[in-house]
Amino acid sequence: MQALGIDVLFKGTNLFRLLQGLWVSIEISLISVVISIVLGLIVGILMTIDRPFLRIILKIYLEVVRIMPQMVLLFIVYFGTTRVFGWDLSAEFSAIFVFSFWGTAEMGDLVRGAIKTIPKIQFESSLALGFNTVQTFVVIIIPQTIRRLIPLAINLITRMIKTTSLVMMIGNVEVLKVAQQIIEANRNTSPNAAFGVFAFVFFLYFIICWPISRLSIYLEKRWA
Amino acid sequence: MDKDVIISYIPHFKEALFLTLKIGWLGILLSLIIGLVGASLLHFKVKFLQKIVGIYIEIFRNTPLLIQLFFIYFALPKVGIQITAEKCGVLGLGLLGGAYMIETFRSGLEAVTTIQTESALSLGFSKAKTFRYIILPQALSMSIPGLVANIIFLLKETSVFSTISLMDLMFTAKDLIGMYAKTTENLFLLVVFYLIMLIPVSIIGAIVERKVRYAGFGD
Amino acid sequence: MKKSLFKKVTSLLMATALLAVSLTACKTSNSTSKADDKVYRTVDEIKESGVINIGVFSDKSPFGYVDENGNYAGYDVYFANQIAKDLGVEVNFVSTEAANRIEYLQTGKVDIILANFTVTDERKEEVDFSLPYMNVSLGVVSPSNAVVESLDDLGKNDQVIVISGTTAETYLTKNYPNIKLQKYDSYAAAKTAFENKNGVAWANDNTEVIAFSLENEGYTVGIPSLGDADTIAPAVTKGNESLLNWLNEETVSLAAKNFFHEDYEATLKDTYGEDYEDTLVVESTSLTNN
Repeated sequence: MQALGIDVLFKGTNLFRLLQGLWVSIEISLISVVISIVLGLIVGILMTIDRPFLRIILKIYLEVVRIMPQMVLLFIVYFGTTRVFGWDLSAEFSAIFVFSFWGTAEMGDLVRGAIKTIPKIQFESSLALGFNTVQTFVVIIIPQTIRRLIPLAINLITRMIKTTSLVMMIGNVEVLKVAQQIIEANRNTSPNAAFGVFAFVFFLYFIICWPISRLSIYLEKRWA
Repeated sequence: MDKDVIISYIPHFKEALFLTLKIGWLGILLSLIIGLVGASLLHFKVKFLQKIVGIYIEIFRNTPLLIQLFFIYFALPKVGIQITAEKCGVLGLGLLGGAYMIETFRSGLEAVTTIQTESALSLGFSKAKTFRYIILPQALSMSIPGLVANIIFLLKETSVFSTISLMDLMFTAKDLIGMYAKTTENLFLLVVFYLIMLIPVSIIGAIVERKVRYAGFGD
Repeated sequence: MKKSLFKKVTSLLMATALLAVSLTACKTSNSTSKADDKVYRTVDEIKESGVINIGVFSDKSPFGYVDENGNYAGYDVYFANQIAKDLGVEVNFVSTEAANRIEYLQTGKVDIILANFTVTDERKEEVDFSLPYMNVSLGVVSPSNAVVESLDDLGKNDQVIVISGTTAETYLTKNYPNIKLQKYDSYAAAKTAFENKNGVAWANDNTEVIAFSLENEGYTVGIPSLGDADTIAPAVTKGNESLLNWLNEETVSLAAKNFFHEDYEATLKDTYGEDYEDTLVVESTSLTNN
């Protein structure tokens, strides 16, 4: 154990701090996922509306998200906005902003896809029955897409959690940074701490993401 | 923004672009190989190996590339496995991408109906020939949209290479900001170079997708 | 089908154009906003909020690191705690990387950088340094079985590890453009890579490489000093005179009490022993030292 540096994990409050660091990542992802689901529903519905101008705007938005790495967006939001607009955004806020910006696009695309599967006749019947457009979506269309969307939304959570490993780069002290700090503080006593600690972080991410992605696959199969 | 600063930084970004592309495409190539082999193993339900592929997919799809790279680059040398940063980048990207490529190819294979296999076999094709000439071409063309998405995803993922000392686009921007503090210019160049790298892929992807859709059946 | 491809291409081009436009827009708003918007906080504003944000390293033992109980510790941190105490506020430590230090100040994300920040002319253009509290120059450490004693001896493919955004990086880039640098963005990463033998040597502040060779067996500082002798000082956002003046006075009054020797004994002595105390520590006695 000593040789692989696993003992370091049990020194002092190291283990607790790693878990605390992990919670920072999970918290950011959960908040971002909730925001993404809400905004994603709206964006998804907007994407099905046939207005050329709206289409172009949303298309550009989707392309930006598709092409720009989240890390670049993080840097632009965290450092760029202060430069340009003088906003002082905290690292957490920047992370949540960027992940929601990204998640909303992903979610929106999923919602659009799900709405497309609903036969057009349902819209027409609903409108003919006197529902207005908003009511049609809220009461008739969205409920039918929920089963299809929930597994995908759950899957988005794991992708969020995985992406949050980037927030270290803008100074958020999350699990990977804590891991580095622990390795650094124990460098002379356990020179192999890098193995044990990084292996443990690897394991932590896996043990969090794996059950969630299994759940998503299970629900997808069951409700398909 | 200062035009002269931007111009003087362009060579750095160009160099970074080449490195990113080199490692990116080698990694993607590796991921395609892993994807094809893995998907075939799953398709033919090869005992034991099928299980390994399953575990591999779960591990690499459920951990971030950043952590995978950290583990390969910083942790493995502690147990005697030494690897250069460039190889680590290719390997990390290949392993991560492989897990996604397998899934993409597999869904392509699954989309080819079993009746085609049966017809081919009854026409006297061998199992191998059926796979090579009947199933694979169709499966590949059906996998194209997924492949394009994966490739863009993997090229974007290269932005975490900075942590293992590879001077990719992201690290170049960060490094220059750290040395000379010209943030706006660097962020501008960063965005421009990512667009230069990814827009062609996106456009070519769209063209290829359009072409192969005609080759698909049952659409 | 044709139409959708066309759409895709146009939207991509539009996206590019939009980004370009928004970034050029940055340029204009940047130059105008700089003058009237101050990003920093004055001493009074800090006192009023009750918290001071200080950027320190969290992976650079023994100067700024996090101990196994999760508390910040080290030579810089000791000083930072004293600053907060004398201001009568709580301290909020912000973990920084070398390459982010200027950025953090310029965007007002921290009030002070106390992260082994070497005073250089280039940096003086971007931030304001107060009085120094430590001496430093560059040094190069290498494994004892293959000591690098001169940078001219390096082989063509030998890589030297540096940390992005440090004076070592700038110095080597300028003076030894042919040396291949292997850059890392954090101390922890660079040291682990060095231990893993990913580079033949590690160039950094000599304080840091000496500490490394003393703390870890099998390493020798082959080049103990390189380039000019410099000093390390706290830095504040450019133009924040209120905090700068306060810091200067604070440093002088602390120096009068031999505070930095006390700091050395509390945080650095375990690593360096007594031999380095007088060469490393600076007690700024006059306000015009800088």
